[in-house]
Amino acid sequence: MAETTHTTPNKSARTASAQRLGFVAGLRENWLYWLILVILVLFPFIIGWLSGDSPFGAPRGDRMVMRGESVYAQSILINIFALAVLVMSYNLMFGFTGVISFGHALFFGLGGYLMGIILEFGGMDPNLGLLVSLVVVLAVTGVLGFIVGLVSLRLRGIYFAIFTLAIAEMGWLFFRGLEITNGEDGLNIASMPEWIDPARNRILVYYVGLALFVLTFVLIRRLVNSPVGSVFQAIRENEERAQVLGYNTLRYKLFSITVAGMLAGLAGMLLAIMNKEARPEILNVSVTVDALLMTIIGGVGTFTGPVIGASGLHLLDTFLREAVITIGPLTIDIGERWTLILGFIFVLVVLIFPYGVVGTWKRLQMRFRRNK
Amino acid sequence: MSDVILQAKNLRKEFGGLVAVADVSLDVQQGSLHSIIGPNGAGKTTFFNLISGKYRPTSGRVIFQGADITDMPLYKRIHKGMGRSFQITNIFPNLTVLENVRLAVQATSDKNFNFWRHSAYFDGFIERAAYVLGLVGLGQQMHVPATSLPHGGKRKLELAMLLAPDPAILLLDEPTAGMASEQVPELIDTINAVRQQENKTIVMIEHNMNVVMGISDRISVMNMGELLAEGTPEEITKNSVVQEVYLGQLYDDVDEMAARGGQA
Repeated sequence: MAETTHTTPNKSARTASAQRLGFVAGLRENWLYWLILVILVLFPFIIGWLSGDSPFGAPRGDRMVMRGESVYAQSILINIFALAVLVMSYNLMFGFTGVISFGHALFFGLGGYLMGIILEFGGMDPNLGLLVSLVVVLAVTGVLGFIVGLVSLRLRGIYFAIFTLAIAEMGWLFFRGLEITNGEDGLNIASMPEWIDPARNRILVYYVGLALFVLTFVLIRRLVNSPVGSVFQAIRENEERAQVLGYNTLRYKLFSITVAGMLAGLAGMLLAIMNKEARPEILNVSVTVDALLMTIIGGVGTFTGPVIGASGLHLLDTFLREAVITIGPLTIDIGERWTLILGFIFVLVVLIFPYGVVGTWKRLQMRFRRNK
Repeated sequence: MSDVILQAKNLRKEFGGLVAVADVSLDVQQGSLHSIIGPNGAGKTTFFNLISGKYRPTSGRVIFQGADITDMPLYKRIHKGMGRSFQITNIFPNLTVLENVRLAVQATSDKNFNFWRHSAYFDGFIERAAYVLGLVGLGQQMHVPATSLPHGGKRKLELAMLLAPDPAILLLDEPTAGMASEQVPELIDTINAVRQQENKTIVMIEHNMNVVMGISDRISVMNMGELLAEGTPEEITKNSVVQEVYLGQLYDDVDEMAARGGQA
């Protein structure tokens, strides 16, 4: 038995274990992603063409006012990009590395607040301020992620989650009480570079958001498919075993938590640019819980699951919140019962798709292939 | 006499007031198969945990290939050439069989912190993993999730993960634990084949007397945390102290196994 199987499996092992594709084959394999990318790039113009509105807004005097279907649709998608980046980063840590954190909102909120403070009080040229914000946000969220990660050496599982919750709540309370950012009212960010001001040039905010979204998606896919990513998944499956294989698992967890924190910081920056403000709510634990729910609904440990979860829930939120359904004499105001309905949807999705939408779909696909 | 590859010097481990391992010294010869036997609770697995680095000893030293590794963290010992398996099956259940072993190969490679290229580009890892899987007889089941293997298959997978980085010494903690008796000879054949082809040193904890007596070069007997006796299988069977303490117990084990529906 041992002798006959030496040589034959080598080739099949390589081809079947993962795709090693050339450019053209890669294009064919990932055609759906490329198609979605093209649609997203053209999206403002497609909506503008369908509705007859300009994707750049409506002219008033010598400048553009942000009015029209296309501009409105762009704002929805910018929010989705920010959310999706947040949820993808959460999934890197939770879905691929198996680290449960309840404090992800801290990184998200810091992204918004640090940028707001630098732009408003830095006294710099707005463009320079934006660049400085980018560097500071990446540095602070990175260092903070590293420190939080170090604690994962001592605390595991739910204890680590509680620790992160405590840290994040401290951040929330801090910014809620901070006077220079107007406490509970939050900080308005007025001095923003004109080219990325959503009140003047929303389409550029849209493309910056799209770029961040695509880069995050590609980065996480590459990372997870690399040797380091294999170790992330090994840690998720069985951390002790990974250690006994010879991995210094702390090093890998630190890496995952730090990258996730930095990406969440960038997502927070994007949201703050879009809203032109940083409010304490972005630091609230409910942001983390939303990210967790979106990960679970979309599919834990899948690449597209977080994107589906984030966009699905945000679209439902946007279009159902205002809706009033009238059936004969019965009028249901969904806005009033929104949380109830959301809870119902969540229960339904978890029952129908026990591994999330994408996770369950993949399992069905695999079972189908095996039976064929 | 060949070289000593692993040496335990007066290893002692106390948990609170309980002395789990009491000043045990052991020399393992290069290339030998050294079994550790003893009744339940004798401290065998704790002794293994001291050697592999899961626990720090209360006192005593561990010398491996001439170097003192007493204070070396667990994961570094793997890089020094130590491989260890567990009494309970310990694998990555949702990853494929190949991926389980590939991870083991990657662990001791200097390329393991690459985070940009696809794992599939590291030929050496996959070829080595496939070779080792062939060695233990899992060549045909490489692409199934590890959790779908039968128990015997999982034990073989563990052996493959152990062999993957080409360790100098294997620490096997009850490799036949929980196996159906008809599967045991096959695993023993595999261990023997590995030993002969790859020329490994093996330290093995084992309850199954037939297995131990058949393939060991030397046997150490532990009881109540102490080393009771050491010698060749013949010497151990003739040793009166061992007979009294351990082999007497064996008959209890036989009864107990029969009661559980197993076979000694």
